[in-house]
Amino acid sequence: MRERGLGRPAEPAPAGGTTGPARVLVLVYGIFALAAGARAGVQLATRYDEAPVAYLLSALAAVIYAVATVGLARGGSTGRRTALTAIVVELVGVLVVGTLSLADPAAFPDETVWSGYGRGYGYVPLVLPVLGLLLLRRGRRDPAPG
Amino acid sequence: MTVVLVVAATVVAALLVVLGLASTVAGRRIGILHLAGAGLLEAVLVVQAVLAGVAMAGGDTPADVPTFLGYLSGVLLIPVAGVLWARTEHTRWAGTVLAVAAAAVGVMVWRLLQLWEATGA
Repeated sequence: MRERGLGRPAEPAPAGGTTGPARVLVLVYGIFALAAGARAGVQLATRYDEAPVAYLLSALAAVIYAVATVGLARGGSTGRRTALTAIVVELVGVLVVGTLSLADPAAFPDETVWSGYGRGYGYVPLVLPVLGLLLLRRGRRDPAPG
Repeated sequence: MTVVLVVAATVVAALLVVLGLASTVAGRRIGILHLAGAGLLEAVLVVQAVLAGVAMAGGDTPADVPTFLGYLSGVLLIPVAGVLWARTEHTRWAGTVLAVAAAAVGVMVWRLLQLWEATGA
């Protein structure tokens, strides 16, 4: 009963695969792709004129999250390269937009996912690319057996 | 949209976070308890969505309807996605996948309540 209730014993997670910690990250990226995409969609559809730059940035963030999600989920050298590119762009994006939004709040009248380094999302947008890069690095150093 | 349902969803989500992290720590996959917890969470969210839909049909609408509807429908997808994604994971991280999904729901329901209470007037 304990087996059924709490789950069967786990298999070990190979480093660099698409299982294990990578799977957790894929879900987080997927949720952020959904959140940023929905936010951008609503903003662009209902009040594009108010802050086009901020809303287009939201849309760009959504695309980057989606690309990173797919790259991490597919794995392999192509998927990892895709994910790496997307995550680097994401890290630069959150740092640049975060800094600009604090330095010049007038330019960002409405929040984006990356405003204030992602403070509207519990700073997860700031931590996420770092975790992503660590994961990709770990996988490269210690390739999956078989 | 009531505080009671939001609190109920938060409590179930928090239990699911604990349960998920526990199986990761214990080196297990997810089991029936996790699925039951996720099912219960989804049920609370469905009730919430129906009640909000009824209230909105009755003319009681939040200020930002598109965003509210986005969260209301989006939050329904998260436990389902979490379960599907965790069930096919055979490593100890399956539980963490579910815990992350539950945590996201726990945050989203409060954001939903906030959006609901901001009236257009």
